[in-house]
Amino acid sequence: MHRPLWILAVLILTANASRGQSPSTPDQTEQIKTLLERVQQLEKRLAEVESRLPASSTPVLSAANAPAKPEAYEARASAVQAHEHDQAEPKVATQQLETHYPSLQIRGFGDVDFSATDQKGTNSGFNLGQLDLHLASALSQKISYFAEITFNAHPTDYTVEVERSIIRYDYNDYFKLSFGRYHTPIGYWNTAFHHGAWLETTIDRPFIVKVGGTFTPVHFVGLLAEGNIPSGGLGLSYNVGVGNGRGEVISRPGDAGDINNNRAWVAKLYARPPKLYGLELGASFYQDKITLVTPTAQDFREWIASAYLVWTKGAPEFLAEFDNVHHRNILTNQVANNDAFYVQFAYRLPWLERSLKPYYRFEYAHMPLSEQVFTHFDQGESIVGLRYDISSYAAFKSEYRYTKSQPGVLGLLAQPAINGLFFQTDFTF
Amino acid sequence: MNATSKRVVIILWTILWLSVALHSPSSAQTSRGADIAVVVNADTPVTDLSLSEVRKVLLGERQYWNSKLPVVLLIRAPVARERDVVLRVIYQMSEAQFKQYWVAKIFRAEAASPPRIVYSNDMQYELLTALPGAIAFVDSRNVRPGVKVLRVDGHLPGDREYPLR
Repeated sequence: MHRPLWILAVLILTANASRGQSPSTPDQTEQIKTLLERVQQLEKRLAEVESRLPASSTPVLSAANAPAKPEAYEARASAVQAHEHDQAEPKVATQQLETHYPSLQIRGFGDVDFSATDQKGTNSGFNLGQLDLHLASALSQKISYFAEITFNAHPTDYTVEVERSIIRYDYNDYFKLSFGRYHTPIGYWNTAFHHGAWLETTIDRPFIVKVGGTFTPVHFVGLLAEGNIPSGGLGLSYNVGVGNGRGEVISRPGDAGDINNNRAWVAKLYARPPKLYGLELGASFYQDKITLVTPTAQDFREWIASAYLVWTKGAPEFLAEFDNVHHRNILTNQVANNDAFYVQFAYRLPWLERSLKPYYRFEYAHMPLSEQVFTHFDQGESIVGLRYDISSYAAFKSEYRYTKSQPGVLGLLAQPAINGLFFQTDFTF
Repeated sequence: MNATSKRVVIILWTILWLSVALHSPSSAQTSRGADIAVVVNADTPVTDLSLSEVRKVLLGERQYWNSKLPVVLLIRAPVARERDVVLRVIYQMSEAQFKQYWVAKIFRAEAASPPRIVYSNDMQYELLTALPGAIAFVDSRNVRPGVKVLRVDGHLPGDREYPLR
């Protein structure tokens, strides 16, 4: 019963110990390098100023006597003598910083995992997580392309998956139109964290947005309009999209074409009130027609409603999301309501450069016996863990999970609870 | 939720409470210096922003001054005091959180590029005058001609209520 507490204590102690032994991090090295560069720049400027000191009478604009109007401020600033030193170096740097099109940026994410559970028939051991490449390229001032490609380890080979491929045209902040393959803007997690494990606090995603899962359509192929809504203190934004919806395999979108003549649509409205920096709350709706090919051809109407509330500052971090997936058999009118939610709480501790973040998540999913599209069991899961950011771009995570599931089919016995220990190191490069 | 889960939650709350109680205020403060002016390219059609609006610009949630003029964010490299003030007052993030925020922002396809890092005032002014839509944060004692200083919450650097210091 006390196992989770012991694990938490051991994790904290281990993290502290390893922190104490670690030499200077890459960040510190980077900062020292930057400092040295800055010292050199300042020394150079000081020498230049000193060489011109007798002739120099440059007035310094003081914050204490700043004029009342910006125009006057600017005029006052105009009175300040311009620096006359050689500006060749800044100009070279400026040219380097000017945007050239296309400007391709590549970033990668990776993770290595270890798991051990008491589930019968499973082995403990290491496994490679997804190797994820993200590409972002500005094609012009208002046109950008984004792509995400993953390499996934399987028992006999690797598969390559185009997770996202999006070209976006920005008109202004209120209207941006894009086309391609997205993570469906349902709820929060699916569009906040994508595939890089380093981005999320925990080791794995919640059940409702599991990679390869079916509860919600994780991907979407089509077009999407998005932008801010002039709403003052509410800070509203929107996403509205039309696309192919679920494909023949319901965990996948119709990349090569829709399975039926019905388009799926999605609409999401969310608020980030400026006065409550860190808070985001939103709701989304998704509608589609699902065509199941096996075991017998059947059509279903699918209606997904989702709501979430998050506080994204690390101290504390709070995520809560609820999804309802409603299915109606078009032929028989039989309906089923599937519900799932998760609540996650984390807190970035103030010590050790805020590198430690303990967390807890509870999630639950319920699929009734009347459900005909999903085959999953009802499931409840608690996880407790610790994230340790060893640098700005790499982390260790340790997690204990307690999972209890129950078959959704009459006559089958309840499964025994599963206890598991999971470790992960994840990073971006 | 079973009894074990409840105990875990209680322990986490205890850790949280202790961390708040023991939080050192010095970690969130930097030494007091001159006000940090918000300056933009002289042609930028803005003269006054609230602190929330400045935050929105810096978070990449406002990316256009108008339909034809994108925002170009300039931020000083680590260790510069201007950067410390921007991270502490506007972003309310540590250096690591700031880096992680922009990696995530680009990864979500919400922005095509992070803020441009500038290593000196000279470089900053060069870019401010050369790039329409550029916005930067400058020690108010070093404001030079050719740029526009914005009011923040109706105040200019030097005012008692000015928030960026």
